[in-house]
Amino acid sequence: MSLMTMIVKMSEGLSKTCAIFFLTLLFSLPLGMIVALLRMSKVRIVSAVTRFVITVLRGTPLMLQLLAVTYGPYYLFGSNVARNKLIPVVIAFSINYAAYFAEIYRGGIESIPIGQYEAAEVLGYSKFQTFMRIILPQVIKRIMPSVTNEVVTLVKDTSMAFTVSYQEMFTIGKQIANSQTSFMPFVVAGAFYYIFNVIVDYLMGRIEKRLDYYR
Amino acid sequence: MKKLLTLALALCLVFALAGTASAASDRTDFIMGIDPEYPPFSYLGDDGEYTGFDVEICQAVCDLLGWKLEIFGVNWDEKLVQLDSMECDCVWSGMTILDSMKEAGYQISEPYYDNTQVLVVKADSGFASSADLAGKDVAVQLGTSGEALLNDDLADLAATFNNVITCDSFLKCFTELEGNAVDAVFVDLPVAASYVSSHDGLAVIDENLGAEQYGIAFRAADAELRDQVDAAVQELVKNGTYAEIAAKEEYVDIVNNLLFLNK
Repeated sequence: MSLMTMIVKMSEGLSKTCAIFFLTLLFSLPLGMIVALLRMSKVRIVSAVTRFVITVLRGTPLMLQLLAVTYGPYYLFGSNVARNKLIPVVIAFSINYAAYFAEIYRGGIESIPIGQYEAAEVLGYSKFQTFMRIILPQVIKRIMPSVTNEVVTLVKDTSMAFTVSYQEMFTIGKQIANSQTSFMPFVVAGAFYYIFNVIVDYLMGRIEKRLDYYR
Repeated sequence: MKKLLTLALALCLVFALAGTASAASDRTDFIMGIDPEYPPFSYLGDDGEYTGFDVEICQAVCDLLGWKLEIFGVNWDEKLVQLDSMECDCVWSGMTILDSMKEAGYQISEPYYDNTQVLVVKADSGFASSADLAGKDVAVQLGTSGEALLNDDLADLAATFNNVITCDSFLKCFTELEGNAVDAVFVDLPVAASYVSSHDGLAVIDENLGAEQYGIAFRAADAELRDQVDAAVQELVKNGTYAEIAAKEEYVDIVNNLLFLNK
């Protein structure tokens, strides 16, 4: 098999890799905010439960969570395994990444001095307005580098979808490597991930610069 | 000074060469590369130790040659890379001999097992031949001979399927089948037979697809090691140890396909 056919074959799987990437971001970024707010809730039980859930999600391998979401329902209730693996894969990835994003958001929110809340109150802002108009814009600016970190990791983590037989780019690379007894597909996969991440890095850099309006 | 340096370098080289040469003949241990999830050839036994037909034969070979056996679980779809990087001395685990391995220079033992691929379906599905599976989803384990066959000799058959799904273990293939995510699993006959016998509601389609043979793979430079192991296995066949191991109850599904016993 020529290098070119290899690249063409693997780029067919790239659309599935992209599907995991974009759908995971779409769901995990907002979900993370909800989790962060629950984690900071003044109601003890809510924050304790959220904290426990976060430790589970961050404390167990993503690969295990993928297996649990995909095959868990079958083993527990005998229900069908999803034919379209994109659904369990995106669910597992979104939940896992939401846990990480939640902690990043929390760090950002807690870094805003309490004086700003007091000043906003004096100026007659409601709690919701304070959060949306004063706190959140500053938080987003501060957490961008950490979020970029996670997004870059996500690109590489998509390769884990092979454990549940989702035929994304890396799975196809492995198939070619097997049938051709060649190491080349892994080199191609590495190049694909690297280029993907260079683009992500560039775009995130652009967004960061856009948000840099006070400096 | 220069001469001294040359001499020193030459001496180093001699020692280095002598070192490798003596390592080959005075071998004290032997690292067997296995797929730890491939019963009945190699798997984690109830006592937590690796066992299986290949493991037992290898142990007997090592006992015969006075080697200490060490078992290394390879990542099956990267087994040859791991062999080349010295992580193990051989790959011996129900491994199908492929032409591509010989072309790549690997030293392959005498074939010892005649393998046949079959399709496993749900017993109530009504599928009776490979033709019935046209337009259906079929799962196969990544890196197995079944997957290679579907890409190569049986590509025409594979083209009639809707999708060929590759899983990274055969257990996942069967879970997909039992969970109705695929309609059939393409797998080695002995694996199919042992799984179907222990799980209800599954059936093997009575159609032999692609007959293949199992062998042991060694590195390209290890022709001598291969000959040693081949000879030791023949010795075991002659003194009856081989048949004794094969007669164990857990190997009942594979005993009829062992080439050395059915010559």
